Amino acid sequence: MEDILRLSKINKSFPGVKALTDVDLTIKKGEVHALVGENGAGKSTLMKIISGAYTKDSGEMWFDGKVVEQTTPKESEEMGISIIYQELNLIERISVAENVYIGRYPFKNGLLQWGEMYKNAQALFDEFDLNIDAKAIVRSLTMAQKQMVEIIKAVSINAKVIIMDEPTSSLSSKETESLFNIIRKLKANGVAVVFITHRLDEIFEICDRMTVLRDGHYVGESEIKDITKNEMITMMIGRELTQQFPERSSEIGEVVFEVKNISDGGDKVKDVSFGVHKGEVLGIYGLVGAGRSEAMRMIFGVDPKVSGQVFLDGKEIKIHSPRDAIKHRMGFITENRRDEGLFLRSSLSANVVMVALNKIMKNGLINYKKEYDATDGYIKKLRIMTPSNQQKAMYLSGGNQQKVVLAKWLFSDSDYIIFDEPTRGIDVGARREIYQLINELVADGKTIIVVSSDMEEILGISDRIIVMHEGTVAGEIKKEDFSQNLVTEYAVGERVDQA
Amino acid sequence: MSEKKSSKGIKDIAYTLLDKLGSWLLIVVIAIIMTFSSDKFLTSANFINVLRQVAVVLIAAIGISFVILGGGFDLSTGMNATFAGCNAALLMKNLGWSVPAAILAAVFIGVVLGTLNGLVVTYLKVPPFIATLGMQYIIQGLIFITTNSMPINGLPESFNVFGRGYVGVIPVPVIIMLIFVAIGQVILKYTKFGRSVIAVGENETAAKLSGLNVNITKVAMYSFCGFCVACAGIVLASRMSSGQPSSGGDMALQGIAAVYIGGTFKGSIINTMAGTLVWGFMNNALNLLNVDAYWQKVVLGIIIIAAVLFDTFRANLAAKQKK
Repeated sequence: MEDILRLSKINKSFPGVKALTDVDLTIKKGEVHALVGENGAGKSTLMKIISGAYTKDSGEMWFDGKVVEQTTPKESEEMGISIIYQELNLIERISVAENVYIGRYPFKNGLLQWGEMYKNAQALFDEFDLNIDAKAIVRSLTMAQKQMVEIIKAVSINAKVIIMDEPTSSLSSKETESLFNIIRKLKANGVAVVFITHRLDEIFEICDRMTVLRDGHYVGESEIKDITKNEMITMMIGRELTQQFPERSSEIGEVVFEVKNISDGGDKVKDVSFGVHKGEVLGIYGLVGAGRSEAMRMIFGVDPKVSGQVFLDGKEIKIHSPRDAIKHRMGFITENRRDEGLFLRSSLSANVVMVALNKIMKNGLINYKKEYDATDGYIKKLRIMTPSNQQKAMYLSGGNQQKVVLAKWLFSDSDYIIFDEPTRGIDVGARREIYQLINELVADGKTIIVVSSDMEEILGISDRIIVMHEGTVAGEIKKEDFSQNLVTEYAVGERVDQA
Repeated sequence: MSEKKSSKGIKDIAYTLLDKLGSWLLIVVIAIIMTFSSDKFLTSANFINVLRQVAVVLIAAIGISFVILGGGFDLSTGMNATFAGCNAALLMKNLGWSVPAAILAAVFIGVVLGTLNGLVVTYLKVPPFIATLGMQYIIQGLIFITTNSMPINGLPESFNVFGRGYVGVIPVPVIIMLIFVAIGQVILKYTKFGRSVIAVGENETAAKLSGLNVNITKVAMYSFCGFCVACAGIVLASRMSSGQPSSGGDMALQGIAAVYIGGTFKGSIINTMAGTLVWGFMNNALNLLNVDAYWQKVVLGIIIIAAVLFDTFRANLAAKQKK
């Protein structure tokens, strides 16, 4: 079969990170091609280069036999490449048909031809046996239906390649089945589909060929019928651990923090239970969408949980809001520090004391000397690089911002601290410092949970690892059994321990 | 080399001055121009006059500052102030209440209405602009119902002290205004409530995750706003010695303008005072220069927009300096 899309030796760097190194990708006409790799393997970056959202640093791209120079997303769409992102790109308040034809509305004498637009859109939905009304407002559709609208939109502009970024992550198994039916129809019409997924079973069900990326490198490609799941996993992870983690020698005590059967009532978090020992770093790993952060948010009282209990020192505590969690000396460093952890326009010191304002009160009023003294203490202890304690948080580097968030929880005397993606967006040097600080906290007898999607980090920092898969705890791994293979097998759902 | 260094130093100082002074700089500019343009400007009588004129708006603007700092908005303040003035007048005139009792009751109603704003915005999640727009009409209707749209005149002499009295050469409303500025500044800078307002206004999610009581903070800032504007309404009624059903309509927007002109987002009530004074001195200057009253509105409108533009420009400069 002919190639429809070919990329050769693609390189892309972001400040401080090499995202793609000499990546190749060949997509044939009318095939379903799986793009496989762990978190951070470079799949999304590669897709964005294909769609024109990013500019490649070097490398070449051919589409339909012709060399393609840098395009804009609009140009590549016109050329015949459609991309369907996980967070769909529809306008919720207008009709399905308007979304399908957005930017290409049928006009006659300067007037929009509504009848024609509805009729054409409906014809496409009927052709694919989709029970969607072209006049319906997008907001009223289910997630699965919205995805279908995106696919039909791609079909309506005669896309020759449709890229789907984890299209099944928010679908039920029945919805997934109907998505696969559509993919088969697209294939029959000669459209190539690039299918990004973490679910290996789906690859074997729907895909013809696959390409594996790892840490921004091309690892290899294969016909699906020539490969086994185990071979696929080996291709995904076979890397050497390079990063250095500081040594830790802490004494691990009793179970002090325990959660039982946390559920959100839906699909994201199902019956999550685990315990953490005093002086221990518990790592929680999972692929994107495994429900790690969601579970932590429920434990901390940010999002409501349908069921589940939290125990401190064996006693059940009721947590309905972050206030309750904080009262029980819990702290939560969220994955999104700029939006959820920091007051960017406020000073460093105002950020540090925000949780424990009571500690800086004197005679019922805020005492600025106490505030500044406390802050200066943490600037020194956590080695925060800043010209003064009055610097606005927005002017600090990522690593220093993270330390400010940590200082906030330390000042509020947190003993149980959840770090969600503690080093995301932080450069290598500052990362090591954060790990060092985690070690110091554990040595002080604090209990730490580190949630991470970074394999090296989770293996390097944890005393024990819980792996989540599709909202449930798939397994638990003790330090002596740590291996990338084992973690990945749990994470992709190839291995499940019965709790 | 050394020359370059010193010129950079001067630049730095200029930026810092610009950043720190903000709208005070505008007042200085107005004062310098006016000192040369009119011999009536630089007199203590004129200054006291300006202060007396801005007193009512500034008292209201203290409350409005908290709402805006907390990420809210209140369009109903003018009507709430008017309502307080009319209520006090009605209670004294028609029901024969004593002056303190009438004032307390009128202010209490103002607090209740402010709290209602807060509850609707916080718990029913109606956008503040819409909720308080509705409240403005509700209160206006209540004013017309209770007063029959007629002024209530002939108030007791002891009530008029708040608007017309003097302590030495200083008008009583100016003293009340200064007390409100001081109270506002202490609450904003030195209490948990003040910290919470700023935190909620800046980042509600982070405030919630930091364990602050976001909902109570939001309701309370509207309550406090209701308190301030009701007090402003009392001073206004006292100054006019009358409950005027159509008196305070412009106050809501003047208060909001003061907050934006002053750059209260930098976290100080003193900025609100500066913003109000810019407004006051501009009015005063245009009067002294015999600018037509209609044109004054046009000029003041331009000032509001220019002040906010200037503030953005200043913030950008400051950000550049930090990098």
